[in-house]
Amino acid sequence: MENNDQLNRFFEEMKAKDAGLSVPPFPTQKPKKLNPWIPVGIAASLTLIGILVWYEKPVPEPPAEVIIITLQQGENQQQEITIEESTYLETWESPTASLLTEY
Amino acid sequence: MNRTHLDHLLKLYHKEAYLWARQCCSFDEELAKDILQQVYLKILEGKAKLKEEEKAKTWIFSIIRYTAIDQLRKEGKLVSMEDSEEIADIEEEVDSTDYEAIIRLLPRMQQEVILMVFYHQMTIGQSAEILQISLGTARTHYERGKKKLKELISIAQLQDQNGK
Repeated sequence: MENNDQLNRFFEEMKAKDAGLSVPPFPTQKPKKLNPWIPVGIAASLTLIGILVWYEKPVPEPPAEVIIITLQQGENQQQEITIEESTYLETWESPTASLLTEY
Repeated sequence: MNRTHLDHLLKLYHKEAYLWARQCCSFDEELAKDILQQVYLKILEGKAKLKEEEKAKTWIFSIIRYTAIDQLRKEGKLVSMEDSEEIADIEEEVDSTDYEAIIRLLPRMQQEVILMVFYHQMTIGQSAEILQISLGTARTHYERGKKKLKELISIAQLQDQNGK
């Protein structure tokens, strides 16, 4: 049986002395406070995105590339010439189209 | 293990952890506080994980020890871990109630085993785990440390008596 009385006494006295030590408090993790500007920022960004998405830009008129000259018969049996500008020919009928269908 | 349970365990061993941290850095209180902060950070960030709950104390002590060694090394305060077999001479008079000064006279490994066993009521096996040495080696440090500490206490007491 080992005799550790001297050592036990030594450490008991040491512990008694250490009891007077100031132990730092256990660190408590506080819940992080949300910066009030963060939701404001998010809301502003979403609004801006919404505006950008919904805002429809006016489609600019394409430059005229085709000039359509139409010869029509007016009310007084007079020939009238109308001139239109367009990017493409909306309707164009071949003067001989009737031959294809009526032949 | 969930965070609340881990917090509970850390709180449970907080005081002892602080005392051990202090002992690991030659009783420097400020350094001990700093080390303990680092240890908690490591644990809460998941850098150190507890696998067996029943070994919580051994686990915390182990992290504290390694964090302290790292910190002491960074600050250039780490004394060689190799034990000198010769008993440190008490060149100046040491008060027999200056427990820390007496313990500091022991080689580092012996200090640690003796403190863990006698101060923190751990087994030699647990101290071997913390020091990451074999049980046989821990037992050797324990026996030598005990012998040397007894001698140192006797010398300090003798000095006290002669001084009075």
